[in-house]
Amino acid sequence: MNSPYQILGVSEQATDADIKQAYLQAVKDNPPERDSRRFRQIQQAFDMIKDEDGRLRYALFHVPNVEFDALLDRAFAQNGPIRPLPAGDFLKLLSTVSIDKMLAKFKQKPS
Amino acid sequence: MKKIIQKISAGLNELTLLQKARAHYEAGRYKEATDLFKELLKQSNDAEHKRCLADCYLQRAWAMADKGMHKEACVLWENYAAYGEAPLQAQDAYVLWLLAGKNNHKAYAVLEGFEARQLDEDYPELAAHLGALLLAGCTDMLAHLPKDSALPRHWEWVGEALDAYRNGERERCEQALKNLPFRSAFRDLRTLLKVQLLDAASLEQAPAMLAKIPEASPYRPLADSCLAYLQTGEDFIATMAGLEHLQRRVVAHAKGFSSKQMNLLETLLKQKNQLNDKMRFNLVLQYQEVFGTHAAQAYCQGALANYPAGYNDYRKHFALKDPFEESRLQALLCEQGKNSYDARFYWERCIDILKKNRPADDKKIALILRHMAELAHYDDAVELLADSLEYDADDRQSYLSLLSIYEQNRPDPVKYEEWLERSLKRFPADTDLLVRAAKSAASRKAFKKAVTYAKALLKVDPVNTLAKQLLFANHMAHARRLLKAEKFHLVEKEIQAAEQLSVDKSLRRQAELLRGFYLWQAEDKKQGLQQIAATLAKLNDDPVNMQFQVQMEAGLLELPTAALTRALPAFKDYLLSAPELQRLIAAMEYYDEQLDDRSLLFKALDKIKAPLKKSLQWLLDHETLLLSWCQALEKIAHFELLKHCAKMGNVRWRKPIWLYYQTVAECQGDSSRLDFMALFRLQNAFEDAHAENDHKTAVLIGRLIEQARGAMNPFQYEDDFDEFDEEAFGDDPIEDLFGHLPESVMGRIAKKTQDMMAKTDPDRFMAKCISQYGKRIDPQRLGILLVNPDFVGAIMVLVAAEDLKIDIGVSFEDIVERFEDDSPQFRLPFF
Repeated sequence: MNSPYQILGVSEQATDADIKQAYLQAVKDNPPERDSRRFRQIQQAFDMIKDEDGRLRYALFHVPNVEFDALLDRAFAQNGPIRPLPAGDFLKLLSTVSIDKMLAKFKQKPS
Repeated sequence: MKKIIQKISAGLNELTLLQKARAHYEAGRYKEATDLFKELLKQSNDAEHKRCLADCYLQRAWAMADKGMHKEACVLWENYAAYGEAPLQAQDAYVLWLLAGKNNHKAYAVLEGFEARQLDEDYPELAAHLGALLLAGCTDMLAHLPKDSALPRHWEWVGEALDAYRNGERERCEQALKNLPFRSAFRDLRTLLKVQLLDAASLEQAPAMLAKIPEASPYRPLADSCLAYLQTGEDFIATMAGLEHLQRRVVAHAKGFSSKQMNLLETLLKQKNQLNDKMRFNLVLQYQEVFGTHAAQAYCQGALANYPAGYNDYRKHFALKDPFEESRLQALLCEQGKNSYDARFYWERCIDILKKNRPADDKKIALILRHMAELAHYDDAVELLADSLEYDADDRQSYLSLLSIYEQNRPDPVKYEEWLERSLKRFPADTDLLVRAAKSAASRKAFKKAVTYAKALLKVDPVNTLAKQLLFANHMAHARRLLKAEKFHLVEKEIQAAEQLSVDKSLRRQAELLRGFYLWQAEDKKQGLQQIAATLAKLNDDPVNMQFQVQMEAGLLELPTAALTRALPAFKDYLLSAPELQRLIAAMEYYDEQLDDRSLLFKALDKIKAPLKKSLQWLLDHETLLLSWCQALEKIAHFELLKHCAKMGNVRWRKPIWLYYQTVAECQGDSSRLDFMALFRLQNAFEDAHAENDHKTAVLIGRLIEQARGAMNPFQYEDDFDEFDEEAFGDDPIEDLFGHLPESVMGRIAKKTQDMMAKTDPDRFMAKCISQYGKRIDPQRLGILLVNPDFVGAIMVLVAAEDLKIDIGVSFEDIVERFEDDSPQFRLPFF
């Protein structure tokens, strides 16, 4: 889902130097021993856009491969930090318990 | 008499009725069983019949409840209660069914009849459900609960906890929850509230805590709602799918979803897992605002590969008006669909558009041309790459690619030189290009030029070992040429130049050896001979390697070797050690790199053939070394020595790799010479190599088999001819004859044929065939048939099956008939 620009956290107008600096910082923040997958991702992103040729090639020939699930992640993303359900909503939820739904799970015990 | 008959008949009737009732009861047909047991009870008040009837009512009550028909379930339970004995079952369910059927009055009456112990101990699940209903607002129930029951007491603490939670009094809430005993009917609510009280740092524990609430708990939907609130993406949707509409709305509200997000969610939940490519594509287009236009466009662009019909919608939604962008997208889509012809057409359109903005878009044009070259055949690729350099002449990789194609894929020495020269003009200090130039010059015997390139290479990279070796080899080659041309006054200078290079000891001694030859030829024969012998002794520990090297060096100088051989120690009876054979392999490889024609190498090897062959017998414990020896011999195509070594190795180790080398040696590297038996053996070896995880050998054998098959069928068109399914013509006689046999039987037969082949050779096998079957068929006909490898294969299967005493239902005559009928099964169109 993430483009190499997003992975390195640079804009599409970034220069070679900006990209290299962002790459070095990203590698420093994500050493391979911590998360080898992320590290590889950063390396690949840098290889892709490190120079003008690479960036042009990416712009011309890159076919986006966005998974539908990744789109759903984006559409139903958490806004802000994760917190428990707000108290008002939680209390509202308590009143949504219905006897019919409860009974669907109230099954006969083997005699 | 009549009475007796009537009595017997009534008895029989009763027996039949009982049998029927029992049969229905045992088969779970409780409705039918109910009627029959009722009938039976009319006839006799049997306790067992009563018990069965009660159970039928109870089972039917559960069945109704499962269907959500709670009122009917209540009636049936009451019927059960009329016939059943105390203690009655499912009283807890009866209360809940009454509540679900809105018959609260009756439900409360039943609850009033409960003792506190009954609700607390016998019906804890009912208590949990009643607790959940209290939370949902059915507080009028409280007055009807048994007075001493734990539920109303716990409800007070729950009320206090909720009040504290509502007011944000965390500690008071926790304190109130602590009052609830472990087995309280509100224990799952306690878990939920504990999750709600977690701070941000501990929130990661929430999913595990929520998972502890059992599936059957009335609080499970609430736990799922809390979980959904914490989730995103696919997990969120999966959890939301299990919630009721009201609960989903609460979660969506809490998450701050827009109405569009809510609509998308509801649509996704309706479709569940039935979304196909088209539906997904259209959903993304419809809700691009929710997904974000950029992400939606990226998704749709990628999805066009699987749903090309969406192209027009894509254009419309993403306002694709730029003709370049349109052609670029079409080209990429064609590439994804493996339609290289159309892709090229669209890329060319892109180039035409870009050409209008030259020179600003030159780089883009060059990149597109290079991209096209990557996907094109070599003949087109060279043209595209050359074109690309017209727009961007500084792309080193394009020059290297062109050189690589002209060197390996479409060898063209003239073009290669031309492009090498152009590349060097553009990148005079490029090490890769200088190495190529030096090697190329050396191969053309332009030693001076090669030396110039190697020197330039050393200037760029002073420690470049390859450059030094190249320079050394070129000085040496030049010195040899001067020596051959008898320009003795120049030889010394070349040897000195070679010696001055800081190369390794063994290379310097090569120079020393050449100096010996120079002395021998130009100055003093005796002194020269001594120097040659002394240097060869320093270079080698054994007479065989010495002899090999002297033969090579003298051969390179086109000098007679008789005097030299005499001056060196006797070698014919010498047995090489493992390190000495290793050295010989290295020397062979060194000289092979310098020679265009291997005849000199073969001559030198032939000279030491006798001690070599004898030595190998002593080196049979060194499998790896012998395999290196075979590999080196295969590379230089010395099949006589290869056969000798591989045969010994195969006898000793019986491994696929040895069979491979033996086969290569026997067919002298020409796979078209392989007969059916050899191919059969190779196929088995290939399978064995796979089974032993010896992938390297499997690849070698696989390649040889492929070559052999290619040689048998040179017209291997990849495209059109593949469409003709071979099976459609039914021309696989082995399949025709033995296709009916189970795999296990064929496996045994195949193993037997393998054993047979290990014990015999093709000629002997054919002789055996003629003697065994010659009387049953005209020998001339048999002779003709035996030329057909498939016929031999079929006979082998027959012989193997006979040996194994397996009746395969195919006789010798069947095989003959199948092969004699093997005239073309179809007519060619023009004949």
